[in-house]
Amino acid sequence: MSKPVTIDVANVTIRRGGRIAVDGATLQITQGTIHVLVGPNGAGKSTLLSAILGQIAFTGKVDMTFRGSGVIGFVPQTFVADRTLPITCAEFLALSRQKRPACFGITKPAAALIAKLLERVGLAGFEKRRIGELSGGELRRVLIANAIDPAPEVLLCDEPAAGLDPTAAEELDKLLLGLRDEHGTTIVLVSHDREQVKRIADRVTRLEITVKATGKPDEVPL
Amino acid sequence: MSWLYDWWISLVKALGLPDSYQYAFVARGVVAVLLLAPLLGGLSHLVVARRLAFFSTTLGQAALTGLTIGVALGLPLDNAYASVLGFCLLIGVVMVYVRRTVALPPDTVIGVFMAFTLGLGVCVLVAATKQFNIHQIEAVMFGSVLTITDRDLLLLLIGGAILIVALALTYNTLLADSLSPSIAKARGVNTALVDYGFVVLLTIAITLSLKVIGALLVEAMVVVPAASARNLARDVRGYLGWSVAIAAIAGLAGLLISASWRVPTGGAIVLALTACFAISVPLGRLRR
Repeated sequence: MSKPVTIDVANVTIRRGGRIAVDGATLQITQGTIHVLVGPNGAGKSTLLSAILGQIAFTGKVDMTFRGSGVIGFVPQTFVADRTLPITCAEFLALSRQKRPACFGITKPAAALIAKLLERVGLAGFEKRRIGELSGGELRRVLIANAIDPAPEVLLCDEPAAGLDPTAAEELDKLLLGLRDEHGTTIVLVSHDREQVKRIADRVTRLEITVKATGKPDEVPL
Repeated sequence: MSWLYDWWISLVKALGLPDSYQYAFVARGVVAVLLLAPLLGGLSHLVVARRLAFFSTTLGQAALTGLTIGVALGLPLDNAYASVLGFCLLIGVVMVYVRRTVALPPDTVIGVFMAFTLGLGVCVLVAATKQFNIHQIEAVMFGSVLTITDRDLLLLLIGGAILIVALALTYNTLLADSLSPSIAKARGVNTALVDYGFVVLLTIAITLSLKVIGALLVEAMVVVPAASARNLARDVRGYLGWSVAIAAIAGLAGLLISASWRVPTGGAIVLALTACFAISVPLGRLRR
């Protein structure tokens, strides 16, 4: 029996700055799979991800069907926050993990959870490091740590491997596969890394403003 | 409030401060500053994190315009909270709406509203001065401890307490949204509500602080403490702590300077704040 559809994108068209960024995109993303969007720069991959998240205006339809927690994790391509803001990794992660205002300190349960999360993304001991002092790869891993707790039902990642060294990229693959296999997380990934696509993708969609092809990794030109 | 004045007089004597500090209006000013410091200091670091410094300047100018509109409509000059709050809320909410709707940089949108509030303020001010002497409005423009009444203090206490509770309850969401609205939105945060809600809180705080700091200078109190604190803090906890401490120290210093040399309270507080910022720059470099 085939798996149910979690994200149904039907005839989605997105206009940005007077031009069509995505034209009539239709694709179905099934539950508990890793679905990778590939395509050249400016093909509309990140824009489509924003539409799936409901963060930009579009015509057409995006339906998300949740069967569990309904939690959505998101790893953005860029983190536009002011990097001079004096906030530590632990405080950033505490913002969505405790009720106590982070400026009044981090609670013990949140601190324990944050330590585990940072360890999972290979940043053990980074609690007191300021966000602004992190390298691009380290910041990306903090964003991934933020997105995977609580285990999301749907995880949307915009080029999560960008800036990661090979070891960290491999660890990321394991993390994503673990989420899919252990929690049944549906993962939508934008990636330019052909090797990563071959390693972890269940399905691939090639987008070049319009959907050019969808299928298994060996069926779609990467 | 006689207990407060008695306590203040005994404190002034114990500290060996000049006799001119024993006046009741100085005591009221001290209480006002101590009430405003945690409120504006707390708001300050969120204003800077949300990049609303320029926005706050516009709200300060809108306060002045709101006041002149109120006076032109017949409200007493020393009790025009309703028109100030009403006009600032209107401008603040419309500014957020336009900023979220049009594809222009936020500072451009804010610049348009700043020009509008200033232009309207000047026109209404000229019309309103037919009803009173323009110098009477100086206290609201530049702040004056002489005009603070017991009623103002009570309003500041109640309003400030409500605002601080509201900020504490929404703090994590506000900061998360400041850092990355897209992540916050994916986590189910209503970012539009956060945007509008924060502006409402900021507007109320600015209205409450007008008599002490003044409409034209209130922006300094919601920007400079955080700017100084950012030079010194290593984490969010320190950021808040330094913001509040600097707001309180500069507020008290400005107040005492104002009482000693009879200069506008707002101006003196801004000078004290700027001095704090100047000190924070080398101190911050030493702490790195």
